[in-house]
Amino acid sequence: MLKIRKREEPWKWGALVIFLGALLFSLGVSALLLAGQGKDPIEGMIILWQGSFGNLWALEGALLKAIPLFLCSLGVAVAFRMQIWNIGAEGQFALGAIGATWMALSFPDLPGVILMPLMFAMAFILGGLWALIPAVLRLKLRVNEIISTLMLNYIAILLLDYLVFGVWKDPASFGFPMTPEFSAAAIIDGIGSSRVHWGLLFCVIVGIGLWAFMSFTRLGFELKASGEGARVAKYAKIRYGMLVMFVMCLSGGFAGWAGCVETSATLNRLQPSLMVGYGYTAIVVAWLARLEPLNIAFASFLLAALRVGVENLQLELQIPAAFGTIMEGIILLTVLAGQLFILYTLEFKKSRQG
Amino acid sequence: MKKLLKLCVVVAAMAMTLSLFACGEAPQEKKAEPAPAPKAEAPAEEAKTLKAGFVYVSPVGDAGYSYAHDLGRKAVDGLDYVTTAYVESVPEGADSERVIRNMARKGFDVIFTTSFGYMDPTIKVGKEFPDVNFMHCSGFKKSENVSNYFGRIYQSRYLTGLVAGSMTKSNKLGYVAAFPIPEVIRGINAFTIGAREMNPDVEVRVVWTKTWYDPALEKDAAKSLLDAGCDVIAQHQDSPAPQEAAQEAGAYSVGYNSDMSSFAPKAHLTSAIWNWGPAYVKTMEQVKNGTWNGNQSNWWSMADGVVDIAPMGPMVPEDVKAKVNAHKANLAAGQDTIFAGPIKNQKGEVVVAEGTTVPDGDLLGMTWFVEGVVGTTE
Amino acid sequence: MLDFLIPLFAATVQSGTPILYATLGEIMTEKGGVLNLGVEGIMAVAALAAFTTSMYTGSPWLGFMAGGIAGMGMASLHAFVCISCLGNQVVSGLAITILGVGLTNFLGVPYVGLPAPGFNPFDFPLLSQIPIIGEIFFKHDMLVYISFLIPFGFWFFFKRTSLGLHVSATGEMPAAASAAGLKPIRLRYFAVIAGGFLIGLGGAYLSLAYTHLWTNGLSGGRGWIAVALVIFAFWRPGRAVAGAYLFGGVMAFQLRLQALGTNLPSSLLLMLPYILTVLVLILSAARGRRIDAPAALGTNIEPEG
Repeated sequence: MLKIRKREEPWKWGALVIFLGALLFSLGVSALLLAGQGKDPIEGMIILWQGSFGNLWALEGALLKAIPLFLCSLGVAVAFRMQIWNIGAEGQFALGAIGATWMALSFPDLPGVILMPLMFAMAFILGGLWALIPAVLRLKLRVNEIISTLMLNYIAILLLDYLVFGVWKDPASFGFPMTPEFSAAAIIDGIGSSRVHWGLLFCVIVGIGLWAFMSFTRLGFELKASGEGARVAKYAKIRYGMLVMFVMCLSGGFAGWAGCVETSATLNRLQPSLMVGYGYTAIVVAWLARLEPLNIAFASFLLAALRVGVENLQLELQIPAAFGTIMEGIILLTVLAGQLFILYTLEFKKSRQG
Repeated sequence: MKKLLKLCVVVAAMAMTLSLFACGEAPQEKKAEPAPAPKAEAPAEEAKTLKAGFVYVSPVGDAGYSYAHDLGRKAVDGLDYVTTAYVESVPEGADSERVIRNMARKGFDVIFTTSFGYMDPTIKVGKEFPDVNFMHCSGFKKSENVSNYFGRIYQSRYLTGLVAGSMTKSNKLGYVAAFPIPEVIRGINAFTIGAREMNPDVEVRVVWTKTWYDPALEKDAAKSLLDAGCDVIAQHQDSPAPQEAAQEAGAYSVGYNSDMSSFAPKAHLTSAIWNWGPAYVKTMEQVKNGTWNGNQSNWWSMADGVVDIAPMGPMVPEDVKAKVNAHKANLAAGQDTIFAGPIKNQKGEVVVAEGTTVPDGDLLGMTWFVEGVVGTTE
Repeated sequence: MLDFLIPLFAATVQSGTPILYATLGEIMTEKGGVLNLGVEGIMAVAALAAFTTSMYTGSPWLGFMAGGIAGMGMASLHAFVCISCLGNQVVSGLAITILGVGLTNFLGVPYVGLPAPGFNPFDFPLLSQIPIIGEIFFKHDMLVYISFLIPFGFWFFFKRTSLGLHVSATGEMPAAASAAGLKPIRLRYFAVIAGGFLIGLGGAYLSLAYTHLWTNGLSGGRGWIAVALVIFAFWRPGRAVAGAYLFGGVMAFQLRLQALGTNLPSSLLLMLPYILTVLVLILSAARGRRIDAPAALGTNIEPEG
């Protein structure tokens, strides 16, 4: 009968092979679903490809979507490495957006070189604080962070609603829930004449920064190497509590930066439609990327490209939007199941009991 | 080392991508070539197929707002010189900009963006594609090739208010509403004005659900109104759940978006419904004839056939029906005196003087409740 | 006062019921040591399955069962990925949510706006005559009455049956359980799938009793609330009831406050259920109550050899 045996060494290229395999499997199932809907599966796959990678503007669209996703995923990964289940990236994203908006609306006349860093700083602070709350609750009162971060997500979104419907509402907006448009100094510009904005560069810097931190500092190295918080702290000579708080602040801060970038560069103002679920998608991305910054860059781009491609499918073949969600779910599950083969292998063993 | 290799690949990829963008890029296709194939084959004046695109903020299967727009799209699709396509569940914000831009790039001639939050993206993309016509629903910005449009659903609300006001015995009407934005507030006001015209003692209680779509919560909201003594439930929500709640409690209800009588046959008095078909068809005709203009604000009314009420239920007495139909005929003929003064606000102050009417601009930005409404606007 | 409170409490019971089913289902799962964040997706699928079954067969009871079975189906996916394939439980749960919600929205399109037979509230013979208590608890539909019994069933199962004790043991220390001759893998499968059944019942409740229709977004985030409430409940069925009713109650309360005409901004009112959940949790923790998470929750059982 089939038995699972641990490999002597983890399968080196396993992660990549499994990911590709899962992708293929998911595409296969999606093709079947397409056929079930009466559409040509091959045509569907081509349209999907064209929508994701087929031309420059598809890539552009994917990059734009990947930017906030990347930042949120970095944050989530940092926390997950310590087995702190930060499900609150969505709320921290919202708080970051609120922080950035606060600065943009309070100081619209400051020059960009001062206003922009101010916005980023406040976004980091508020996002970090929002993550700090569950961290403290976990440390002092052993409140499970899954529940606290989750609840705080809802509260954060409602807070955003409250501000945008109330004190921050644009008097010129005919009563619609949106803040006034940001001044030019508060808006992140496009790179050259393209649609992609300087947030991309910011991502590169932050990503490299985090990678460097994790590779070259003692604290970072230990964070990278282990998942058990207490052990890490012992080596890094920092109290476990401080470590948790530091990691959560960082985690929330990154998500906050994502909120800042999205608000400034794409919306140019704060409105409730900012919230599209990057915080939750980030968990998926972070995990698919095995919590490493470099892989997160790939994974966020790929997932963004998939979503953009699915939109194309919608447009060309009139497939319902839920189709893309199904694809994502299947990819995830297949990768999860396939991960088994990185550490284990199947073999036939004769059953002892005759 | 594998790590170093990976790093190099990523940096190289990013550098390549960046450079592609920096060096003045191709994607800014100045002229969107509308359906190049038909143009080449077809003779100069004859049947050029127009492509109409629709962007929806929710799934079309929701039997609500987007569903109503999609019915309009289907009407347009029936025209032999138009092909249509749509993208649903597009969040407002960055995603919508991308979707709209892609449609423009793919050579759509007319693009209907059906939600308020698509306003900025529509204007932005409009600038890049001067040859594409854009119609944005429920907004206030416009430009050379972007017109906005909406429907005076408040006229329907007024009529439903007349019905509700006549049918209530407790003099309390309940309104389950999603978000305190002007179109909702305006609808509540028109409803109240209509109700009080039939029954000056009526009050309208508002509960905000802060969601367009959570049937269970909407039902709860309706129940809370029913428990507070309301015996007619109206809604500005997309699911028929409040109708169900009303029927279960033996109360009456007023629906929205489409005829909701099948969900609550004993309770359903009427609904405020959209009818985008004729307006969309008219738009396409204008585009075909070259008479479509940007920079317009089209606020279509009952006279244009865009808003209406569902047939009134059998429980509505004949004399009420007659009155409502009389008002409806007036509205259909273009006489709209719903927001004519004197109108008092919740505090009892006269905010619209006798002899004046609320101008369209103020209607579009309405954020205050009229007298008789119990609830906040936040 | 009473005629504000009594309808409020009655609404609380109804509003809390789907959450209660789901929370109890998740407790069952977690007692076995497996975290299932896919509750939202399972509820969504179950709601659709229940609705369509009821529509096609004309029997709401069959629909109710179908919901449970659909729940079992989705949960077994999760079980397979986590238990047999040793996948990360957090991510697998999320994947189930994503898949479940996507599948439902995709397959459910033709069913929007159609009617199906469901459960209607009725007065429970005799018990509904009891003043106050009767009005609050005994004027609901059958599924609510069933939900009253399940916590007792739980208590009995975990304290008095050997299967229940075995499941708990697996959740605490699978290695020890294995050494004692139990089969942790099978027990975990049982916990996840049985939990999935209950979660599915909660989803079925939404489309058969709470409302009598199916549309997108019927589950409305209740699955996530259930996950949170399990922690709130300290994995005990009694507290789960309290949590579900607390949450449902506060939600019903803020709606009623609006209906009575308050001037408080609705965004802030809507925050109440979430804030209160966290506050009560903080208070309980501060009073030093032990939090009995199953020790092996979230970890996977490595195969031997």
